[in-house]
Amino acid sequence: MSDLNALKQELAKAEVEPLLPIEKKLIGWSLGLGLGLLIGLAVFNRVFGLF
Amino acid sequence: MTDTAAVARGAQLELSEDWLAVIIGIAIFALSLVGAAGPDLLGWVVTTAVWTDPGKALAPFSKAYAALGGFGSLVVTYAALLAVLGAAAVALKIDIRRFAVAFTVVFLLAYGSWIVGSQANLAVVTPADFKKFGLSWSLKLTNEGGYVVALVLGLVIANFFPRFGDWLSAAIRPELYIKIAIVIIGASLAVTAVGKLNLATSLLWRGVVAIIEAYLIYWAVVYFVARKWFGFSREWAAPLASGISICGVSAAIATGGAIRARPVVPVLVSSLVVIFAVVEVLILPLLAETFLSHEPLVAGAWLGLAVKTDGAALAAGGITDALILARAASEGVNYQPGWILGTTATVKVFIDIFIGVWTFILGYIWTNHIDRLPGSARARPIEIWQRFPKFIVGFLLTFVVGLAIALSIDAASAPRFTAAVAESNVFRVIFFILTFFSIGVLSNFRRLWEQGLGKLAAVYFVSLFGFVIWVGLLISWLFFAGVKPPLAS
Repeated sequence: MSDLNALKQELAKAEVEPLLPIEKKLIGWSLGLGLGLLIGLAVFNRVFGLF
Repeated sequence: MTDTAAVARGAQLELSEDWLAVIIGIAIFALSLVGAAGPDLLGWVVTTAVWTDPGKALAPFSKAYAALGGFGSLVVTYAALLAVLGAAAVALKIDIRRFAVAFTVVFLLAYGSWIVGSQANLAVVTPADFKKFGLSWSLKLTNEGGYVVALVLGLVIANFFPRFGDWLSAAIRPELYIKIAIVIIGASLAVTAVGKLNLATSLLWRGVVAIIEAYLIYWAVVYFVARKWFGFSREWAAPLASGISICGVSAAIATGGAIRARPVVPVLVSSLVVIFAVVEVLILPLLAETFLSHEPLVAGAWLGLAVKTDGAALAAGGITDALILARAASEGVNYQPGWILGTTATVKVFIDIFIGVWTFILGYIWTNHIDRLPGSARARPIEIWQRFPKFIVGFLLTFVVGLAIALSIDAASAPRFTAAVAESNVFRVIFFILTFFSIGVLSNFRRLWEQGLGKLAAVYFVSLFGFVIWVGLLISWLFFAGVKPPLAS
């Protein structure tokens, strides 16, 4: 029970950790690649009927 | 034992559970195959028909075992499952006596729910069946509505009789049950696919491209929301992003391991995943039936992308398959069954495969850039395999073997092979039922609230209902719109 209380406290009072450059890079690449592939493959599929 | 502790125990034993699921699933498939060429070894397994007279609800799968009767086949099925799963419990170092007692009750309640769900006033859909059973009304849940009955019964136990739920905990193992079901389903998908190989191949490719984009987009956005808007630390945000974005419990646990988070972090995230999966299963199939009945495979892919945890996603796919087919039938269109569920399963399996790759990438970044310690080991490629969900190996094996047999068998023997696969599929349904009941029993809402997970739940709610579900729908629409299941001959 005390462990759970400690976790509650931790979640409620955790200090904000700023985003590191590597995290920003990860988010950017992941999102960029996902959106790029989505648009590219969707258009490619519409035009050429790939699948 | 708390629901959280139950998930934690599952996490510790994940690898063992994976291989046990492979062994049990393949054994069921192999024994059913014997029936195609020789003696029917599994024909005693119990099946349930839609009923108005309870005495006619149950029957053994094969006529060769008709002498057993419905109740006899239920008892034999229970005894066989108890023996096999009891051996698995021993392998997992679970107290066998506790497991046997708890499993007996779990089986009775879960299968009882399935029987209740097959009652005609709950299940009947088509005008022909209304006439056949002499009914004036029905909830039209189809016989797959039994999953919902099992889930609701589990929820009632978890939230109103939590001590009873704790007492059942030794046999509440949704991850093991669904992994066995996924191994078995491989052969069914192969048989479904073989008649329309071009369509199946097309769905496979669509599934691959859909999940890659979904994963990349979902993960980045949820991680950003958790870190920037809700102020979570990296240790909490990464498992949360993996759990919410696509893969649920397994992804949260694998990510927690990859970034060396404390064990409690993915465990608490997993508790949330299960709770939200329950909510999704109750809502999304009805939405899919209402709004996507003319795009059945969009519905199937959407559920694979939107519903977390393999069990919940596949059961939601199964319910949607039944609901949409029934609605289409009432409009005069008779689709072949299984294609919607097959699409959901395909998408989900690719997601599971992707977990290993993604957690390796996260492990590499964390060990080399974020938590870099002097002399600490770099992430190694072998870790992709170590983190790979092994039950997928069983799924691929039954799929490939099923496909190879279905493609090479002569026309005279084909019906026997199809019947053998259908026989193994009866076990898949039983493991689905056990999964659903177990998910319900693990979903104690009050306990979760008491654990102070309000902020985690807020991230989950905002991400899932504000973003994940709708982006999943968009991606499914882009890649599956206009593709229809074949018509039943």
